Amino acid sequence: MWKQIPGLRQISQRTISTASRRQLGNRVPEKQKLFQEDNGIPVYLKGGVMDSLLYRLTMGLTAFGTAYVVYELLVASMPKKQK
Amino acid sequence: MAHQAHPFCMLNPNPWPISGAVAALLTTSGLAMWFHYNTLQPLALGLISMILVMLQWWRDIIRESTFQGHHTLPVQKGLRYGMILFITSEVFFFLGFFWAFFHSSLAPTPELGGQWPPTGIKPMNPMEVPLLNTAILLASGVTVTWAHHSITEGARKQAIQALSLTVLLGAYFKALQAMEYYEAPFSIADSVYGSTFFIATGFHGLHVIIGSSFLLICLLRLINFHFTPNHHFGFEAAAWYWHFVDVIWLFLYMTIYWWGS
Repeated sequence: MWKQIPGLRQISQRTISTASRRQLGNRVPEKQKLFQEDNGIPVYLKGGVMDSLLYRLTMGLTAFGTAYVVYELLVASMPKKQK
Repeated sequence: MAHQAHPFCMLNPNPWPISGAVAALLTTSGLAMWFHYNTLQPLALGLISMILVMLQWWRDIIRESTFQGHHTLPVQKGLRYGMILFITSEVFFFLGFFWAFFHSSLAPTPELGGQWPPTGIKPMNPMEVPLLNTAILLASGVTVTWAHHSITEGARKQAIQALSLTVLLGAYFKALQAMEYYEAPFSIADSVYGSTFFIATGFHGLHVIIGSSFLLICLLRLINFHFTPNHHFGFEAAAWYWHFVDVIWLFLYMTIYWWGS
């Protein structure tokens, strides 16, 4: 029975498949290659499609928010008509 | 491709400073509007845009440093100065609230019954949960230092264990403090005792949340191989901030919880 244990240990050490090993391993070199590509794209958009979606969402919210808050502040600063 | 002949980080123009400023405007005006007109929308908009800006700005800093290599030694030196100055400004922030506490507690007015704690206030026992919270934060200071040593020695597994333990201790502190807030026999409205207690400990709690979020991000970066034994300033900045949060708690505990009870 004791002779089976080294074999079992080998199996438990080899359970990670190639796909998940790529996820668990060091992906920094891939990222370095992606972000150092000489394509003129600024760093805040260089990661891909998600970057431009997030950027547009943020800009949209802040542009709308600026207009909204300036309007609300103007309304709040106007004197209310007393009856 | 042209290479720079200087060691400084020349940033791409980016929208985060202006949108961060707008987010601050929305949050502050939104807070005022929530207080006075009971509307939540501007505040919610402000908080959401603040979170979006923080995520993207700090994501870009990680890209500029770990992925593009812009954080040379002179750049790192500037970042160190910056973090130290920021923490110093936070120290002054808390100094104000400690001043307020001592102003009211060293010479209690007749309206309070001429005593501190004021008449009718039942303070928390400093030897119960507050003492446990002190032990938790002190222990987390030890574990974050252990994590740092592990990083500089290249001991990856130990570093992950130590930093995870630090984050867990932070979560334990937050949970206990939330429970204490819920169970407290006095509220923020209970005279200047309640005001000074909850404002000082409340802002400290907010800083614990900020600090442990920073440490959690560092843990994720550590797991993803972002740090090297010689270059891990993000982690050092988080560790400095965490020690600052710990020291503020020690002062809070000694003055408000213990001396003030």
